[in-house]
Amino acid sequence: MEDPSSPTTITLRPFRTTDVDDFISWVGDDRVTRWIRWSTITSKEEVLTFIKEVCIPHPWRRSICVDDRSIGFISIFPGSGDDRCKADIGYGLAVKYWGQGITTRAVKMALSQVFKDFPGIIRLQAFADVENKASQRVLEKAGFLKEGHLRKYTYIKGDLKDLFVYSFLSTDTIPHPLDP
Amino acid sequence: MEEITIQSDNKPSDEDFSNISLRLLDLSDVDDFMEWATDSQVAQFCSWDTFTSKEQAMAYIADFIVPHPWFRAICLGDRAIGTISVSQNPGVENSCRGEIGYVLGSKYWGKGIATRAVKMVAADIFLEWPHLEKLEGLVDVDNKGSQRVLEKAGFVREGVLRKYFLQKGRARDMVIFSLFVN
Repeated sequence: MEDPSSPTTITLRPFRTTDVDDFISWVGDDRVTRWIRWSTITSKEEVLTFIKEVCIPHPWRRSICVDDRSIGFISIFPGSGDDRCKADIGYGLAVKYWGQGITTRAVKMALSQVFKDFPGIIRLQAFADVENKASQRVLEKAGFLKEGHLRKYTYIKGDLKDLFVYSFLSTDTIPHPLDP
Repeated sequence: MEEITIQSDNKPSDEDFSNISLRLLDLSDVDDFMEWATDSQVAQFCSWDTFTSKEQAMAYIADFIVPHPWFRAICLGDRAIGTISVSQNPGVENSCRGEIGYVLGSKYWGKGIATRAVKMVAADIFLEWPHLEKLEGLVDVDNKGSQRVLEKAGFVREGVLRKYFLQKGRARDMVIFSLFVN
């Protein structure tokens, strides 16, 4: 249980190839990849390739770090063309760090940066599985507005999913980064 | 005694609006296309600006409409009075959804024609595209007429997506509607 007087300090930074051992400790865990499009990866070689070819060139993907060691990720995917005013946010965290408000803090940190990094973005949106209560709480605590229940919206790993859709606008107020 | 015949020209209410059908649109429909495509009332909530020339319309028909995966003219008799289409979202994981869109000449509004056209599409599209689980419709929050079309056609309102659609440079709030197979 997190001590509210001294929460674990987290930082966000781009991924490095040297993150491979830490990366594999959480991307190799089905509980972390359960709700997202990512597959569980247990091969070090595959993780290294994934870091080099996907995570590092990504428009905006950050490692969530404790003491500069990777414990998870947070990504922003800007749209293009007609979707250029929108971006999607996604995240995942190592199980041993769940329940401390870390993901919520990481999302708030991303919110404070993303509209400066992508000035054309007006709408940041997030989709959470209707059964993924933890992720829904992250978004609500981070100040996102729940907009609706999208039934049979998309396939994730071959299953047809119902998702809640949330948004945070460039005009919305970011809750204080240190608020739980 | 002289019989006086009252002529009412161009008065749609004399016509039989039950004779609605869907068919492919082609270049020979360009004059009818121009009727609604030059109407700023019709274009108000569309992504496109009113068309200014027949050449522009013919290029649009040839380059966008004809190759489109599912695009139909809404016809009264054999005359095109609007269009209706179903588009797929990119990515195989999104193949379960098709987005419906429609446009109707403004003098034909308020007669249930668009609703009938949407129902006709809903009856056919799930058979033509067996991978489809739902039809989606995105309607501007201010476009009450179009929201009523989808509600009358049996769509369910799933929420309002804030600043979701860039319409002529402005980000608009959109109501998202869905209709499920069976």
